[in-house]
Amino acid sequence: MHQAVTFPPLTRHKVMKVDSFHTLILPLREKLFRHAYGIVRDRAEAEDILQDLLLKLWSRPEEWKEIDNPEAYCYRAIRNMSLDRLAAASNRKSVLPRPDEEERSFIDSESPHSRLVRKEQQELIVQCLSQLPERQQVVFRLREIEEMSYRQIADTLVISENLVKVSLFRARKKMQELLSGQELPGGREMQASPVKHREI
Amino acid sequence: MKKDQIAALLNKYWRCETTVAEEQELRRFFAEEELPEELQQYAPLFSYIAEEHAPRLSRGFDRRLEESLRHAGATPLRQQRIPRRAMLMRVAASFLLIVGLGVSLFFITRQQNNPHFTERGDEDTQVLEQATEALEKLADALLMSEEASRETLRQINELEIDWELIDSLSSDTTPEEADPVTEIDDAEEPHPAVDSWQENEKAIYNEMSKREEKI
Repeated sequence: MHQAVTFPPLTRHKVMKVDSFHTLILPLREKLFRHAYGIVRDRAEAEDILQDLLLKLWSRPEEWKEIDNPEAYCYRAIRNMSLDRLAAASNRKSVLPRPDEEERSFIDSESPHSRLVRKEQQELIVQCLSQLPERQQVVFRLREIEEMSYRQIADTLVISENLVKVSLFRARKKMQELLSGQELPGGREMQASPVKHREI
Repeated sequence: MKKDQIAALLNKYWRCETTVAEEQELRRFFAEEELPEELQQYAPLFSYIAEEHAPRLSRGFDRRLEESLRHAGATPLRQQRIPRRAMLMRVAASFLLIVGLGVSLFFITRQQNNPHFTERGDEDTQVLEQATEALEKLADALLMSEEASRETLRQINELEIDWELIDSLSSDTTPEEADPVTEIDDAEEPHPAVDSWQENEKAIYNEMSKREEKI
């Protein structure tokens, strides 16, 4: 799917840690992309953000030296940059399904009504997730979407495995409450007819 | 998978005890199978997660990234930064120098232009001046007396005074100690050395008086 591309060698960097750009960060770009996408919900923007981040890291090796945990740093950085973009673009944000979301819809037998309901429900999930504390969000994503083990997540974020499990537990619990109607922002039932999504 | 099994798996999922494989199975089930009513409410979650797996970087991304990295690599960002920092330091240093000079000049000129700036200052200055004067005089005196002493000594040496003779004259030593013959002769007629000695002593005395007056 991707053409083979060789990235420029780090000829001017002598510090060994800087090599982690090639060995650690570049391989992460797909994951980081999805992370950005999860927030901005727009493929082109997510790519833009990712490119910005990679370019910035590449251009400042002296800053790079001071980062102890490059992966954790990258996840956090991409999240922050995404949130910034989202805030800046909040005027333009719309609830209507975007073209790329349309493409990926896999439930063909859905009626337009149920499709819309599902879309709205997903939007609610997105909203609910975005309101979780940062750690719960990132752990949820790394587990659910990137399918990383608890050990891997712990290593990446430099936290204990126990904390990973606790964070995931809380995030999933929140989802369960949201979907079972026990807790909903504004106290509305999830299963109600698809109206007034902006109330939330 | 049966209804019971799915329910059990789902509970395991909420407890975070499922493996990645089991979670994949859950997602598949919720997407493809017919769902029991009580489980339908959770379908959006798994469909959301499944959809979030899908985004991939576009085909041209790597290429574009490589280009921008190369471009960044070509521009000597490092080189640009260092001169800028050094430049800033130089500017700061120059500025400090000028400010320092200005302040110094200010204080100096202030002092010169305002000799009566305080009463107390005047007194202090006077005392200081007097002390300085006194010290200078003392120094001069010491210097001169040193010179005078030296001069005196020099002159004394030139006189070639016979100290033994002087000692014998002024002391109570009996004539027996000295040479009888020489001494008697000397006593009756003025020994030329004695005369000259007296004169020289006077001269020395005068000289010293003069110098004392000077001081």
